[in-house]
Amino acid sequence: MWTVGVNAAWRAAYRRSVRSAFATVPFYRERWALDGRTDPVLVPGRTGTDSGAAPLAEAVHKIVDLVPLAGGVQRIEPSRGLGPVLRKARSVSGDALVVVLGGDGTRPPSDLPRGVRCCVVDPDVPAPSVLAEVSSALRRGRRVLAVGDDKQLAVFAAALPEDRAYRVESVPRRELDTMDTGPYGVLHDPALGYLGAIEECGRWHLDWPRVYARPTTGGLAFTLLRQDSPRFVDVLPAGGVRGEIAPCPRHGTPVVLT
Amino acid sequence: MKTGFHDPRTDPVPVGWPEFFRAARLHPVWDYDVMGLDAWTARNPPVLATVSDDAGIVAAFSVLVCRPRLRYRFAPTPGHRLLRPFWAEVCQPWLSGYPGLAFAPEVAAADRRPLIRVFERSLRRRLGPGLLGVLYRALGQDFAQDLQGRGRLVKAVDSVAVLENRFASEDEWIASLPKSRRGGLRRQRRRIADDPGVVVVGGAGREDLDSAEVATLIQGHRERHGKLPLDTRTPPSAAFLHRFLRRPDVHTLTYTGADGRLLAVNTLLDHPDSPAKQHWGTLPVEEGGRQGLLFDSYIHAMRYATRRGVKELTAGRGLPELKATLGFRARPVYSAAVPRPVLGW
Repeated sequence: MWTVGVNAAWRAAYRRSVRSAFATVPFYRERWALDGRTDPVLVPGRTGTDSGAAPLAEAVHKIVDLVPLAGGVQRIEPSRGLGPVLRKARSVSGDALVVVLGGDGTRPPSDLPRGVRCCVVDPDVPAPSVLAEVSSALRRGRRVLAVGDDKQLAVFAAALPEDRAYRVESVPRRELDTMDTGPYGVLHDPALGYLGAIEECGRWHLDWPRVYARPTTGGLAFTLLRQDSPRFVDVLPAGGVRGEIAPCPRHGTPVVLT
Repeated sequence: MKTGFHDPRTDPVPVGWPEFFRAARLHPVWDYDVMGLDAWTARNPPVLATVSDDAGIVAAFSVLVCRPRLRYRFAPTPGHRLLRPFWAEVCQPWLSGYPGLAFAPEVAAADRRPLIRVFERSLRRRLGPGLLGVLYRALGQDFAQDLQGRGRLVKAVDSVAVLENRFASEDEWIASLPKSRRGGLRRQRRRIADDPGVVVVGGAGREDLDSAEVATLIQGHRERHGKLPLDTRTPPSAAFLHRFLRRPDVHTLTYTGADGRLLAVNTLLDHPDSPAKQHWGTLPVEEGGRQGLLFDSYIHAMRYATRRGVKELTAGRGLPELKATLGFRARPVYSAAVPRPVLGW
């Protein structure tokens, strides 16, 4: 339920993230102290460029500076947030099997719903044992969901027996600059993880309890509200994509419009 | 006498500071812009205190206002008053072995003590009742004597490695060393020169450096060797180094592998009399680093020192035994603790 109070709490969480990043994370400290930012302004008179948002590629390159003073990991988690967005995208729960398609660096997500089993598969070189297990699960009538980009989904489907491949529920992974009209899909960034999903209304909903987004002159800037390290606050994915954040006419929660 | 306190984060450059900087022959870390950059990215930011007479600035103090380490946060933005008890440290955070106070050349030795007392009285007034006392770090023998007095604790705590430059070239320096070290350095120099897998580049104001890679190396090196007790400094960030390494008075020596990976880095602060070897970071051998690069960095530093004809080269306070084998002399450094009741007396 999205109300005025929830909206205010969402914005307050974002402002807390900004202040905390300024007080503890070297990357944002230097950037916002010397150049400045807006909404909120932290050093009077310094408003910065692009409202203080930084290109994501630059932030990732300086990942050593994204770790707070108290310490933390420098590892990127591309699978962060898959669980909550998959619930929205395909109503995953119970006894489903989630196949995350990706290369060597892909790690399984840690936030899938209880009872849901997960495996990571490289579609170019799938292990025969994994394919056999997926095929067996499909034969038993178990829900199998595959998450990947279009090419990965096609290659994975081709590797399965033809009479069962059609039963795999595909969840196309889209980036901010390749968003389409669905009907299914999750919004993903290789550094930020999963940011949102298409819900039944056909709109790209933000995973708002965990992600904040705002339009800037450099494009849509994203903030991870619950990740301590590496800390991402007001970063511009995909080189900066113009868009806006608006309330969904049906649900009221924030949706991404590009 | 007039005392001024200048927060380099937001205050303009003090009147007469560039002239004092040149006259007192200060190291680049005293540059007001560098102090400002350092202050923004520090837990305990330096404030510049100046004591002036009619002719201009006669004494300067780099003062770190230090808070107990209760939370890992940068310092509050300017204008916030500290509510908890705190102490002040007079030091230059990233200039090992040099004090955080400097005097104009025309100030006689006998006049230093009254100037220090003027500064202390002003500091007490400025920082208010929460100030517990002042700790002066890395003092030379002369300044240590100026700080002696009732209720003050002055103690020799450490030493800084100093090499007096009486050589015409680095070869002459190597020839002056004990036989075993001499042979080792020459072998090391040949080995690196003959190794196509190591690219050595040095110079001032390097634009080609990736500050993130340099910061990773320096921070990793510091973490491996453990944090110093009571260290009030904040490790140099990539953001700080990005601007710092591009300065014309900061020399950076890098060792890069054939794959472009940074193996070791050393910064040297330029100075007309005494350049100072500053940050050192190296990749462990088990992660692809090379042995002996530290020694090679001394050869490069001495090559620069002898060509420039400086009086001495300083190399910080760590590894005194090793530095002694390279001809460095241990110059004692003192700390002085001045509790609040005797500040200014």
